[in-house]
Amino acid sequence: MAAQTRKAAIVGGNRTPFARANSVYARASNQDMLTAAIDGLVARFGLQDAQVGEVVAGAVLKHSRDFNLTREAVLGSRLSAATPAYDVQQACGTGLEAAVLVANKIALGQVESGVAGGVDTASDAPVAVNEDLRRVLMELNRAKTLQQRLKALSGLRPGHLSPSVPSTSEPRTGLSMGEHAAVTAAHWGIGRTEQDELALASHRNLAAAYERGFFDDLVTPYLGLARDNNLRPDTSMEKLGKLKPVFGKGADATMTAGNSTPLTDGASAVLLASDEWAAERGLPVLAHLVDAQTAAVDHVHGGEGLLMAPVHAVPVLLARNGLTLQDFDFYEVHEAFASTVLATLKAWEDDAYCKETLGLDGALGSIDRSKLNVAGSSLAAGHPFAATGGRIVATLAKLLAEAGPGKRGLISICAAGGQGVVAILES
Amino acid sequence: MTAPSLPRLFVRAALTARGRGGELPGTRLARARVTVDPARLADYSAVCGYPLTGALPVTFPHLLAFPLQTALMTERAFPLALPGLVHVRQQVSVVRPIGADEALDVEVWAERLSSHRRGATVDLCAAVSAGGAEVWRGRSTYLARGATVPDGAPEADVDVPVGALDRTSARWRVPADAGRRYARVSGDVNPIHLSALSARLFGFPRAIAHGMWVEARALAALAGRLPDALTVDVAFRKPLLLPSTVDLATARAGEGWDLAVRSRDTEHLIGTVRPT
Repeated sequence: MAAQTRKAAIVGGNRTPFARANSVYARASNQDMLTAAIDGLVARFGLQDAQVGEVVAGAVLKHSRDFNLTREAVLGSRLSAATPAYDVQQACGTGLEAAVLVANKIALGQVESGVAGGVDTASDAPVAVNEDLRRVLMELNRAKTLQQRLKALSGLRPGHLSPSVPSTSEPRTGLSMGEHAAVTAAHWGIGRTEQDELALASHRNLAAAYERGFFDDLVTPYLGLARDNNLRPDTSMEKLGKLKPVFGKGADATMTAGNSTPLTDGASAVLLASDEWAAERGLPVLAHLVDAQTAAVDHVHGGEGLLMAPVHAVPVLLARNGLTLQDFDFYEVHEAFASTVLATLKAWEDDAYCKETLGLDGALGSIDRSKLNVAGSSLAAGHPFAATGGRIVATLAKLLAEAGPGKRGLISICAAGGQGVVAILES
Repeated sequence: MTAPSLPRLFVRAALTARGRGGELPGTRLARARVTVDPARLADYSAVCGYPLTGALPVTFPHLLAFPLQTALMTERAFPLALPGLVHVRQQVSVVRPIGADEALDVEVWAERLSSHRRGATVDLCAAVSAGGAEVWRGRSTYLARGATVPDGAPEADVDVPVGALDRTSARWRVPADAGRRYARVSGDVNPIHLSALSARLFGFPRAIAHGMWVEARALAALAGRLPDALTVDVAFRKPLLLPSTVDLATARAGEGWDLAVRSRDTEHLIGTVRPT
């Protein structure tokens, strides 16, 4: 093992434009989109037939046939077939976790380069047979005699024909992610107007970033789509204000389709490497992945909000790196819902919460909101679960590179199951 | 013109099969600014195993040319009878990757009426252009068993030399409905592909796979390993009877590939892929 660790460089990224579910990518599979994202990265950085150290990616909604999704995508891509790959899955944290895993192997000298990615399709989602039917079929499979087979088949009921469709409900609470977020929004007193304002900023920032060509070397058109089709450059507070709440109840019902992310299809990939590997190939180093942290909360019995884990992860990461929350030039807080971002910021500002729940000496404090999600985030771009991490890592790395050396950015991504992944990037 | 209806053409060709002969007509048929229906492309890709990349699969433009070629072969002046024609060789050249959303001009014609030891062959050619520049060429060679050609016709050229292909790279379990599935996405509803019963009427013991499907599936297996500009040349040998288990053999040949699809002692397809 290497005597010293080193920081992994982020060379660049590539993603498909993100598409609202059941729109232009309705017929594209996870493997199609992940392969397209990897091939775009290959084209951008001259990696045709190149062997990179490892490709790590995943999908949240995955068909059982896609057990080796990332390796299969590599085999169908223009990378050398001698490139190893493996799948990871940490809900919406998948993409960032994949980048952390690749960066860690680079840090340890176990690989010189790697691709981290993620993909999800809500349009081509895996539909499984009804659990009751599955049990009958498994019993039928185990049956050895005609009698046993008949007995197994006698368990069939017409209702078994209805398929089992994946949902965004939490298995242990039965609440959808939006319903969980609504509980948190009510707890933290997050208002409708501030949520709509955050959504509006996301659309404006993303549109402006497209307009100035920021995504020209981060996004490759796919299946006729050149930009994220959830983006509404002309949306306004008035338009957002007209939308009816879809999550929450009564006066607390503040979350609409406008300030919540829609189900989305898409894929992303990020190229990471050692500085030496990048230099040998004449490739840029946009930023380095400095450190990362995961956390989990007990959203089932512990009373903490489902999407609050990043709130817990960030102070740990700050302490380890001797930083305060204010020591950043950019903040990328994944917009699962506008209310999630606002609750996260409010929690860090809350002295009592930071002391009692996070065990800190006091509040982490406020951030300069003009540094938050400056190139747009999930509310505007959409959120193909596992692809979001790669979108954010590549976007932040480029923002840092543009801002010049010594700049620092914080990534915070919440995930189902009460988990969170956060990371620091530095140019 | 709009795409001619293939089932109607097949019927007309069958009714007018007798009494054909003579020279090839100089007819050229064309369709301008053809666009590809994304759903059809997705269906085709799924049936052949191609990934959805946003570019047209190497063999896809053949689907745009095929109805025109069939219409041309159905014309009274065409010297060979369409029923019973056997696709024996297919050449495809891709000049550059073609975007799935490009408007394409398609032109087809027939040439090289040739004498073959078992009858006569003819080449149905296709040129596909985008914005005035040629992006794809196809040449389908068909054999008419027992047909005669006018004096002075050249000898048929249906051989595709390939190198040694010792290694099997994939085993395909081709289901009984493979012909029906490809017929649905390609429009090629020739009865020899659809069912054992309809195939028997034409002398086959069972339905046979479309040659173009076998070729497409072999090329799909090389996804990510093909040059952008390439020429594919395949010879269709013995019919692939459905259902079957067959092997795909591939071997690197410089920057290209040699390939074969075979089962035990039977060769169904051999071919080459070369960068251009």
